[in-house]
Amino acid sequence: MTLQEAPPITALLDPATVQSIADEIWPTLVGDGEAFVPVPVAPPAEVVSAWVTISGPWNGAVVLTCAPATAEALAESVLMTRPPTVVDDEDVADALGELANVLGGNIKSVLPGPSSLGLPQIGSAPTTGRLDDVCRVNGQWRGQSLTITVQGATEALHPSGTEVPQ
Amino acid sequence: MKILVTDDSRVMRQIVIRTLRQAGYDDHDIVEAVDGRDAFEKVGSEKPDLVLSDWNMPEMTGIECLEALRASGSQVAFGFVTSEGSPEMREKAANAGALFLIAKPFNEDTFKDALDGVIA
Repeated sequence: MTLQEAPPITALLDPATVQSIADEIWPTLVGDGEAFVPVPVAPPAEVVSAWVTISGPWNGAVVLTCAPATAEALAESVLMTRPPTVVDDEDVADALGELANVLGGNIKSVLPGPSSLGLPQIGSAPTTGRLDDVCRVNGQWRGQSLTITVQGATEALHPSGTEVPQ
Repeated sequence: MKILVTDDSRVMRQIVIRTLRQAGYDDHDIVEAVDGRDAFEKVGSEKPDLVLSDWNMPEMTGIECLEALRASGSQVAFGFVTSEGSPEMREKAANAGALFLIAKPFNEDTFKDALDGVIA
């Protein structure tokens, strides 16, 4: 299989499209009246990321990044938990991963196809490569920093499930 | 009526079940499966009337599960609830025998539109 040179993400997607997708997702998945506001706030000292890879004519990942406490609050909102019910770490990773998954699925649909979506992953965000292959919306939810990044694959980023450790 | 909700995300299974209730389908038995393989086995053991399934899952994807079910002779009603709703995927789902494809994000109205006529 030969690899085709795909246009960078900035030629395929703009922040306004990412925002419009988030505008659909937040009220239905995070909760009534909830919104991702595209106004940056100070980034947190510690962050956690969830992402899904997109493999096709364009290769990269859709990454959601926030503070661990924001991820926990997102999980509580998604699951509609009320005190004294608490979410555990598995629920937090699951909820953040599903948000990244739904963002990724919808972003994939506006990129050239055919392409496939990887399974959600959680941890430290993959490194970004070329500056023109990154589309980022720095925003906030309930006043806390939240960033959506659509970034091209670097050598360190491969679609999940395609590598076999030697 | 028994509905088998299949998704590798427990959070998403909870949301699907909650949305079923919000859409008014609150008097049905709900069973859950964690991936396509689990769903395939539970169609045999639980005998659901309807399978609602994610597409992209480890072990066995939703479309592989549907194809395996039809190859085994099962004609259980099957619909997708997935984060991708491209025309290609909708066509592939329909060709494999799915009744509908609900794209995430969804709300109770999306569920009603897809499920009215499928759920008595």
